[in-house]
Amino acid sequence: MENIEQNKEMTALQSLNIISEMMNNSRRTILQNSAKHFILWGSLLILVSLVIYELWHTTGSPIWNVAWFVMPALGFPIVRILDRKDSDVPQNKINMNIGLIWLTYCIFTVCISVIAMLWVPMNVSLVIVVLVGFAECISGFLLKNWAITISGFIIGIGGAVMASMLLGAEQLLIFTVCGIMLVVTGLIIKSQYK
Amino acid sequence: MLPKLDPLLHAELRLAVMSILAGVEDADFSYLKKQTGATSGNLSVQIEKLSAAGYITVEKGFKGKVPCTTCKITSEGLDAFEKYVNALKEYLI
Repeated sequence: MENIEQNKEMTALQSLNIISEMMNNSRRTILQNSAKHFILWGSLLILVSLVIYELWHTTGSPIWNVAWFVMPALGFPIVRILDRKDSDVPQNKINMNIGLIWLTYCIFTVCISVIAMLWVPMNVSLVIVVLVGFAECISGFLLKNWAITISGFIIGIGGAVMASMLLGAEQLLIFTVCGIMLVVTGLIIKSQYK
Repeated sequence: MLPKLDPLLHAELRLAVMSILAGVEDADFSYLKKQTGATSGNLSVQIEKLSAAGYITVEKGFKGKVPCTTCKITSEGLDAFEKYVNALKEYLI
């Protein structure tokens, strides 16, 4: 938009144009900014899942699953650094809700993983992959983007089936696919709000 | 008879600022400046007018060591903005 320097008289149409242009531009800036989180967490998921897969595969020990805790330990400080860089970009209802959904997902995942490791053994991969799909689906609905919503359904339902069929280290490859889907989601958001 | 438009909102820069603030939780001065393309001086003056009318709140603080001014629309401002948009619609019908 051209510089708005003068408070000159406007017609009703000009006023509505200013309102819609400002709202759309602001929405675009805010949502494009949220794409980096999907790309970051997706990339971390790909990296960590492949490293654990390789270690589990080579040594034959599932103990390497402990390395999952590297993800939040690495991810949250990076998020802080990235957010500091764009600290002037505000939050709107959509990206606040998306942030809350994924924060809830993180809390669920960490709690379930700890419970499964220490007390009640369960198919953690199945639970986590369903949660990823669920969070992805709702993110898609909020962003009004069908590609993201459908990919959420594919991750959740397809991932649950695969997690029930695959055993051992092979299950980790489901998370590699989830990571790819998250990166793609980030790229879709980036291009949608360019 | 057509409704009277709120003169405080019927000005380009003030309307632009209110449009941005209506869609966000709050916004930094630097963000408003970037989005509107206005100069710091003019933006400050218009923000002051909106704040004096009770349409927005202005908070001065620090982000780390950097000073920052945060603006937030008030419920009064949101009402006025809504009324203004509804009035505009009547002009177009």
